[in-house]
Amino acid sequence: MTKRKMFFRMITASLLRRRSRMLIALLSIAVGATILSGLVTIYYDVPRQMGAQFRSYGANMILLPGEEKPLTMERLQEALKNIPEEEVVGATPYRYVRLDMPSRQQSFISAGTDFEEVQKTSPYFSVEGEYPENTREILVGKEIAETLGLKERSSVELSYKTTAFPAGTDPGDIQAGKVLSGSAEGFNKVLLSADIVLDEEGKIDSIAVDAAYQTPGVGSQVGTDQAFLDQFIGKKPPFSLNTPDSEGTQQEENTEGVDAVSGATISSQAVVDAVNSAVFGSSEGGVIVENTEHFTVSGILSTGGEEEAYIYMSLKDLQRLTADETLDVAELSVSAGADELDNYSRAITDSELDISSRLVKRVTRSEASVLGKLQALVFLVTAVVLLLTMICVCTTMLAVVSERRREIGLRKALGASDSSIRKEFLGEGLLLGGLGGVLGAILGFVFAQVVSINVFGSSITFQPLLLPATILVSMAIAAASCQFPIKRAVAIDPAIVLKGE
Amino acid sequence: MALLELRNISKIYGELKALDNVSIQVEKGEWVAIMGPSGSGKSTMMNIIGCMDKPSLGEVLLDGTDISKEPQKVLTDIRREKIGLIFQQFHMVTYLTAVENVMVSQYYHSMPDEEEALEALERVGLRERAKHLPGQLSGGEQQRVCVARALINHPELILADEPTGNLDEANENIVLDLFRQLHDEGTTLIVVTHDPEVAEAAQRTIVLEHGRVAREILNENFGKQ
Ligand SMILES: Nc1ncnc2c1ncn2[C@@H]1O[C@H](COP(=O)(O)OP(=O)(O)OP(=O)(O)O)[C@@H](O)[C@H]1O
Ligand SMILES: [Mg+2]
Repeated sequence: MTKRKMFFRMITASLLRRRSRMLIALLSIAVGATILSGLVTIYYDVPRQMGAQFRSYGANMILLPGEEKPLTMERLQEALKNIPEEEVVGATPYRYVRLDMPSRQQSFISAGTDFEEVQKTSPYFSVEGEYPENTREILVGKEIAETLGLKERSSVELSYKTTAFPAGTDPGDIQAGKVLSGSAEGFNKVLLSADIVLDEEGKIDSIAVDAAYQTPGVGSQVGTDQAFLDQFIGKKPPFSLNTPDSEGTQQEENTEGVDAVSGATISSQAVVDAVNSAVFGSSEGGVIVENTEHFTVSGILSTGGEEEAYIYMSLKDLQRLTADETLDVAELSVSAGADELDNYSRAITDSELDISSRLVKRVTRSEASVLGKLQALVFLVTAVVLLLTMICVCTTMLAVVSERRREIGLRKALGASDSSIRKEFLGEGLLLGGLGGVLGAILGFVFAQVVSINVFGSSITFQPLLLPATILVSMAIAAASCQFPIKRAVAIDPAIVLKGE
Repeated sequence: MALLELRNISKIYGELKALDNVSIQVEKGEWVAIMGPSGSGKSTMMNIIGCMDKPSLGEVLLDGTDISKEPQKVLTDIRREKIGLIFQQFHMVTYLTAVENVMVSQYYHSMPDEEEALEALERVGLRERAKHLPGQLSGGEQQRVCVARALINHPELILADEPTGNLDEANENIVLDLFRQLHDEGTTLIVVTHDPEVAEAAQRTIVLEHGRVAREILNENFGKQ
């Protein structure tokens, strides 16, 4: 057996067979190492964590369509190439439109978006239930949910209408010969109705207006003034009221003009609206393209902000409903310093993409100062913990030395030189430090993970380099804390063994 | 030339003279017993001979060289190379097994050799107990391990302070037999004892009283048993 082997046999035996005292030393080193490696992990993770934390106050970069071209998903992807991929925490497209809820006769602002990205750029969104995963699932703002009494799994009908006047539409083809009714609000919001019949070509064949409840003698004339009503006969809807001004009479594009009954403009407009509505199903002039789908509420959204009055659905659903692929805005969350953000933003705005980029300054600026303070705090705590660990290990080792006085005296009597005694105690200290370090590195990771999850709400990745680093540092700490106890051990007089103390 | 010579040594603790002008000689291969009442300075003398302490006055000649003025480091080297120690309180390293305790002595001396250590244990009749911790051994067995440990490096001089003080008759005889063997092999033995029987096993007995050599008794029966 070599001397080295015997050396290790002795120091491991000392640790293994004299458990109690060494266990305390081991434990204190392990605790110190745990906090050390845990805090260091957090220390290095803090910028990332805090970045993510600041990201949770919302996006820090916003992309808007430029002057000429609309914003689309492809163009958004193109713009994102200006930012290193790993720094893009999330990029969320938004398209806002107003959707009707026919059953409630109300309309709501609805956003089409990408929910996976929403969760990254707007982590403060709090959803009761689930984020939509399937097609035709929606997130309903809390405010809407409360007024309409919507819950998870509630079903709602949403419809998208465009009022347009597409040329060549010929409602007569389908509706010829039938009596079509329409109504519209007249003076004082009193309803007025019109029944019409279309001929084969979609032109008005006959018209009857019930204006009995309009102002008698004034508004009510629109139902009886044959000259007024005759203006509709033989013409193709939609109609509009001619508006006289200095340049003569004006009329809306693609419509047939009708002169109002003098003194009853509002009621006349109501007749025009009622007729249009009878033909196209809307009180507004124009062809109504209506697209209605059923949706299931997958969750209720609370944000404490205006989002609570919105409905959210996947971009695909909205694009299908509206037959439109443009985006209104994209919100980006980028994990980069203020200067880099500035550079990225300028690069996007200056590119040929015709996309304008803006930074949310408020968020990026506060980040740096809070980070600095936090790291200083972590550093301080680490230093204090290390000091406490050293004190604890030192006192424990002192107790160990006095407990082992006889043994040390015996070793000296057997011929151990001061340097052997020093080596043996240092060896035990380093072994303790190493073991404590391994334990601490593992526990420290768990500790950092728990802290990270509870404080920052996100997990951290294991830093492989931290394992040897923690072991080395705790060995160094153990060695340093052993110096004074070792001095004591070396000073022990071998003669005590003969005195039979 | 004597292996060991104490020349007018005194050890003074304040007012107290633990040793007072003691001069003795021990020849190579000699077996000397030291007796005396408690507090007469026996252990003090052993500490000085064992290079664990220095006299206040006088010279200690080991192999003809004065070691009384040497620094601690040199004394440690001499102790390691030339002296084997056996104590009353057994003094084993509690967390090491019997064989490991023997190997500790080898470790500080030269190279640990488990086989040789086991042979030494064999010699004191404890090979079977090699893997036992001191706590698992009786007092007599522990003392036998200590004897094995003292002889493992083949020291020129074995110092034993009350080696049989805590032993029963049977173990005392085992230890004395071991001493006889060592003596036959030419080892010099200095044995402190209270026990006249142990003293009678030696060739010569030196009696200390109040830190002085009171008398020396030659054992005429030595070697006749
Ligand atoms: N370090 C010391 N400081 C002061 N006095 C001491 C010291 N060491 C020993 N003495 C004293 O020296 C005297 C001799 O002690 P020593 O231990 O040599 O006695 P001893 O003959 O071995 O006795 P015993 O048979 O009880 O072991 C005693 O009176 C003791 O109190
Ligand atoms: Mg004594």
